[in-house]
Amino acid sequence: MFEEASEVFDNMFKSSFPLTFIVFIPAVLILVSPLPAEAAHEFTVYRMQQYDLQGQPYGTRNAILNTEARTVEAEVLSRRCVIMRLADFSYDKYQKALRQSAGAVVIILPKNMSAVPQDIVQQFMELEPEMLATETIVPVYFAMEDDELMSIYTQTLTSSSSQGSLSAAEVLLHTATANGFQMVTSGAQSKAINDWAITSLEGRLAGVGGEDLPTIVVVAHYDSFGVAPWLSYGADSNGSGVSMLLELARLFSKLYTYKRTHAAYNLLFFVSGGGKFNYQGTKRWLEDNLDHTDSSLLQDNVAFVLCLDTLGNGDSLHLHVSKPPKEGTPQYALLKELEMVVLSQYPEVKFSMVHKKINLADDMLAWEHERFGIRRLPAFTLSHLPSHRLAQRSSIMDVRSVSPSSRHGAGEPPAGPHVDVKKLGRNTKVVAEALARVIYNLTDKQVQEEHLSAVVDWLTAQPRAAQLVDKDSSVVSTLEYHLGRYLKDVRRHYVKADKRDPEFVFYDQLKQTMNAYRVKPAIFDLLLAVCIAAYLGMMYLAIQNFGVLYSVVRRITQPKAKSH
Amino acid sequence: MTLFHFGNCFALAYFPYFITYKCSGLSEYNAFWRCVQAGATYLFVQLCKMLFLATFFPTWEGGAGVYDFVGEFMKATVDLADLLGLHLVMSRNAGKGEYKIMVAAMGWATAELVMSRCLPLWVGARGIEFDWKYIQMSFDSNISLVHYIAMAAVVWMFTRYDLPKSFRLPVTVLLALCVYKAFLMELFVHVFLLGSWTVLLVKAVLTGAISLCSLFLFVTLVHSN
Repeated sequence: MFEEASEVFDNMFKSSFPLTFIVFIPAVLILVSPLPAEAAHEFTVYRMQQYDLQGQPYGTRNAILNTEARTVEAEVLSRRCVIMRLADFSYDKYQKALRQSAGAVVIILPKNMSAVPQDIVQQFMELEPEMLATETIVPVYFAMEDDELMSIYTQTLTSSSSQGSLSAAEVLLHTATANGFQMVTSGAQSKAINDWAITSLEGRLAGVGGEDLPTIVVVAHYDSFGVAPWLSYGADSNGSGVSMLLELARLFSKLYTYKRTHAAYNLLFFVSGGGKFNYQGTKRWLEDNLDHTDSSLLQDNVAFVLCLDTLGNGDSLHLHVSKPPKEGTPQYALLKELEMVVLSQYPEVKFSMVHKKINLADDMLAWEHERFGIRRLPAFTLSHLPSHRLAQRSSIMDVRSVSPSSRHGAGEPPAGPHVDVKKLGRNTKVVAEALARVIYNLTDKQVQEEHLSAVVDWLTAQPRAAQLVDKDSSVVSTLEYHLGRYLKDVRRHYVKADKRDPEFVFYDQLKQTMNAYRVKPAIFDLLLAVCIAAYLGMMYLAIQNFGVLYSVVRRITQPKAKSH
Repeated sequence: MTLFHFGNCFALAYFPYFITYKCSGLSEYNAFWRCVQAGATYLFVQLCKMLFLATFFPTWEGGAGVYDFVGEFMKATVDLADLLGLHLVMSRNAGKGEYKIMVAAMGWATAELVMSRCLPLWVGARGIEFDWKYIQMSFDSNISLVHYIAMAAVVWMFTRYDLPKSFRLPVTVLLALCVYKAFLMELFVHVFLLGSWTVLLVKAVLTGAISLCSLFLFVTLVHSN
């Protein structure tokens, strides 16, 4: 048959040249075409942080993976992708996966984050900084749960946990026919993003009444931090601070429009970026204003700088200072006014001043006011958190709201970090009242809770990790527009890391699409080949002996014919 | 599951054709070129059928779950063109009855294999993801081979001038079964909601029954003279 085939092909080549093209070009094209991706399940995964701060690397260094899936109960974890659910996550299991040099770790987060029970939220929040503190080459991904992913997880669980407890025959059968899953990410390896600009915004309201008026600065950082940048919504820290700043800007801009209430103070509002990375935006802004320009509001008479950080919840307010204010200074006046407002109008709130000296030997500064303190500007930070080390300042569990069912009754540990708009409104009223009393002795203007709620909703609807908000992002432009409605001279301020000795380096490939392919083990192919060979052997015998069947049928029909 | 799996499926699909070609003695008659011509006729007939279907049959606008019995029945009727194509091939080949049948059936079935099964196998069986449907597709091609041989035999018998009167009815019934076999299979699947391996089994049984009946009739016809 092959000679005949070659004859036919020869004829084709010699007689009609175009025919060969018609036959061969499609064949070649088909051979070189890439395989379409056809997966059992395709889902988005979010990578753990990867960044360098002041030369020190943090987080996971790797982004690509193409390994088989296992759960943590399996014995052999090296070079496999370990899948864990948030409910079963613990530091020991994580360490076990790292020690055995697993290929990757994928943590499945429940669909409805606000319904996760309290103890799990607390435990995970405490583990986040520990996971980030050690630099690891194992890529760690987070995925949101859906039905397909859960079924993949349960199948992997049954095949991983049954590895040690079956008889030898069962194990053999299992090895040949088991269903495995291959996890493949679709992106490239992560590399440093060059020239990432962190944007900050400033705006001002000029006071009336001559030159050289004192300036009050209100500062809040708008970025968020968590173990995975794409999942850091940062509702309380620091979405609440930004919404309070915008509300104060709106209130004071209204007051400043009328001549009778136009006060003799300049108000400078600064929305800074890179706050969670040691307040980079503020640092560069201060350098530019104090070192590189001739005249700026910051160089002259600064009354005080009020930093707002995490004010969306809780029943206490703490004013963090690096040096207790002296009597007769504007800072002291603000402190006293805050105390009086809280005492007289909101007795359920506990107010206190927390004194912490700036420690320059630490890697990271504690609060934003320390940046100003280093440049000898009087500053303090207002927060409902008593300490800067609390995990809820940098957690992905900090979401807009939690469902009531996940909260225990009164007297139980409090719910996970979230924003309670009523408390945010109350805190905003306190701050606005105290500021107004310092600037002029006038009654408060109404704080609009709907406005606060709208801003917090919008802020928490997207992740605002410093690596994700570049200068064209909608977060920055919306903030700019918002500030522009109430303040004049709204300007942008950029900070890029220094080329030779960068204070921070960010990395990309933070969100990937992962594919899970259903695969069979290699032995299965061999088994299948043996079965097919046996089947073909039987076919061959059957066709060879077709004559037997023919003669049988002939014998059956023969007597009928002969009888005619 | 990569090239090895593709190799498995391709072997499963193609080897029976190869064995049939070798063992039926067609290679002694230099029938390769004639089989290719039969394949070309297959392509031409399929093209005509598609044009006809596209021009004259409107798209089904009913609900998604309702099965359009009448519409599918009409579409299956167009498959009568297959019979015409087979008859055309057989009438152009001179020779004994068995030779004609085998040449027509081999060419037709090989063309169908190449056109409708090679491409999905190449594209799908080579991927990482494993699915049983490729093995099922290869089995299906084996069943098709037997089906086309039976169909060619029945068409040949139908056009014989010396066909006894008593055979007319069974031959016509078998012919109708061959044409509507695909329609019947889809009906079964919809009504009984069968799994994919069960469907294959039912198809094999049905094809086996049709081919046995046609074998009986063929032997009786050829050896009654």
